[in-house]
Amino acid sequence: MSPRRTGPSRFRARTVVPAVGVPVAIAVAVLVPMQANATVDLPDKTPEELIAFVKSSDVDALSGTIEQRSELGLPDLGALMGGSGAGSDPGPGAGDADGGDSAASDTFSDLVSLATGSFDANVYLDGEHARLQVLDRMAERNVYVNPGEAWFVDSESQTATRLSVADDADVEGLEAELERLAAEAKDAAKAEVEAELPDGEQLPTPQQLLDRALDRLDETTEVSVGTDGRVAGRDVYELVLEPRTDETLVGEIRVAVDGENGAALAASVTARGADAPAFETGFTDVSFAAPDPSVFVFEPSASYAVEQEELPLPTVAELQQWVAEAQAREGGEADDAADVPPPVVHGEGWATVVEVDAATVAEAMAEHRAETGADADPDAGEGVAPATEAHFTEGEALDLLDTLTTPVDGGRALQTSLLSVLFTDDGRVLAGSVPVDTLVGYAESGR
Amino acid sequence: MSSPEPAAGVGAVGLGAANGHGGTAAAAPDPARPRGGGLASLLASETATLFRRWRTWAMLAALALIPILIAIAIRVAGPSSPGRGPAFLDQVAGNGLFVGVTALVVATPLFLPLTIAVVSGDTIAGEASLGTLRYLLIAPAGRLRLLSVKYVVAAVFCAAAALTVIVVGTLIGWVLFPIGPVTLLSGGEISVGEGLLRLLAIGAYVAVSMLGLSAIGLFASTLTVVPVGAMAATAILAVVAQIIGAIPQLEWTHPFLFTDRWFDFADLLRSPPSWESFGDNAMLQAAWIAVFGGLAAWRFATRDILS
Repeated sequence: MSPRRTGPSRFRARTVVPAVGVPVAIAVAVLVPMQANATVDLPDKTPEELIAFVKSSDVDALSGTIEQRSELGLPDLGALMGGSGAGSDPGPGAGDADGGDSAASDTFSDLVSLATGSFDANVYLDGEHARLQVLDRMAERNVYVNPGEAWFVDSESQTATRLSVADDADVEGLEAELERLAAEAKDAAKAEVEAELPDGEQLPTPQQLLDRALDRLDETTEVSVGTDGRVAGRDVYELVLEPRTDETLVGEIRVAVDGENGAALAASVTARGADAPAFETGFTDVSFAAPDPSVFVFEPSASYAVEQEELPLPTVAELQQWVAEAQAREGGEADDAADVPPPVVHGEGWATVVEVDAATVAEAMAEHRAETGADADPDAGEGVAPATEAHFTEGEALDLLDTLTTPVDGGRALQTSLLSVLFTDDGRVLAGSVPVDTLVGYAESGR
Repeated sequence: MSSPEPAAGVGAVGLGAANGHGGTAAAAPDPARPRGGGLASLLASETATLFRRWRTWAMLAALALIPILIAIAIRVAGPSSPGRGPAFLDQVAGNGLFVGVTALVVATPLFLPLTIAVVSGDTIAGEASLGTLRYLLIAPAGRLRLLSVKYVVAAVFCAAAALTVIVVGTLIGWVLFPIGPVTLLSGGEISVGEGLLRLLAIGAYVAVSMLGLSAIGLFASTLTVVPVGAMAATAILAVVAQIIGAIPQLEWTHPFLFTDRWFDFADLLRSPPSWESFGDNAMLQAAWIAVFGGLAAWRFATRDILS
């Protein structure tokens, strides 16, 4: 046996060096790239140029992962709301249809929770297909949109809901009609702009139109270009929108715009005075190559409950009738008094407050169920009340309202970081992106 | 010129003890052998020692019991409804291949880490408590090599534990339930063969997930001569890490927790399968192995071995 050559000191050096060195190397490996990211310098653009750049973006295929975080200061409304409609207008077609059944409104409130919740998701887009794959822990929600149909798939409830247009729906006719209406609206807008222009000036180019739109925006909002940064490994411009008024809860909106192709890669909304955004969404990883077509294919498993929903598309005649009705309503307001009174609007721009009479809404809801409630108050907070009707007894509903809201002068208020809702004792509901005090003020003056 | 005589004498004693400890190594250690061979035989003997222990088999049997209990319970009591119980439980009645996955969901938070803690916490402290550690070290292996071998053996147990759950789960599922195309989280289906491959990948994912905890156990084991202490400390850390992971206020710490990606193995059941989380998890575990392996090496290399 040979004598030991490893004396204590050498032995130590051989083991201690890797023992200390490896963690240090890892720390360096993690920290150095973080520093390297710091400077991004894209060619400067003015806000106008940047918005034109965004508008000219022609990205229609991409795949990537988005991360959405929302800390609106709301309790988990999704859990409370249950099935019935809550929040924004589900669209012209569904809006007037007589009550989607519970499955449809379930799907709908699922979609609302997708819009306002926190999640990580994969997004796939090519020209005509789209898929949103929400990566929940041990579960998944999917929205597939293919020409003529859409799927909403939920792995937890093991259901796949297929939304499609009725076979006999005249899709092409409708499209043509919508196009015609859009063209009409465009012409009207053009005429309006022309009327505003000084005599003799020709109709503006799209660039000029954009400038005018920006001027309008500029009245309420300060638009600026922030510092260039990196999102999902790509250099981005940052477009910053700041309300010019102090009366709103919204502090600023930031949008990250890809420096190469003008696609929006991230957006965040920060409440006034807050350090961190109340709502942010953005890509953590993105590629602008068309994704593999197989990701858009959905064939429901045999173990899934498959539900079919037909989107009740109006016929061309119906559409024309609605448009005529809407125009008539615009013309003569007296007509409305008989029907549901329109919401009262206080303030303007960012500080707009919408006031509705909850009693009327409730009445209308009895006829139109959830959708009318949503129409009456496009802001999400209102969803609480209509939902209670379907799922809770009145007492439970009041309890629920009590836990969600705090008492204020003349009613109870729900305050989130970006939105306030006031339920007055005399049955009105006021909502807006303003402090509760403002709502209380309007409620008192309007009484 | 003082060393050769006594060193040879101690070496002989050490080899005898190591043989007594190591079973299959009985024929192997020859002082003239090159070190690489010594390492391989040390590894073989340590692995054999692990799997000759009653305790190892008892722990594997306890893990195997989880899928068996789940399968029998579902068989007797009927299918569970979607959204209740652990993830995938509702799928079991329709497709026996899900027994293994469900069992992993159940075992990952506590039972699996517990067995890993026992094995990794015993690595060094167990030898120290039996008084065999110094003999092992006298054999021409070197402290770092012994430590590496001990860690590899613990890693082998991680793989064995995860595979036990998956394999037993698949077998019992095959016996008690219909087997058919596997429903993925995305709502589509894949064939049984592809499903089995995905199950194996999930087993590998879980085995990799436990490597960081093994490194922590190895470090704890170098700190003490009481193996139960090292085991308990490791098991408690696994639970504490998961509790921290459940507290939203500590969200900034979450990406660094070794438990953070333990449950992301479900990503392999998506369509398309997301291998990204497999890679992320492997990186995370590698970082923990580097840090705690390094600490263990430092501690083990510098401490006085008295037993």
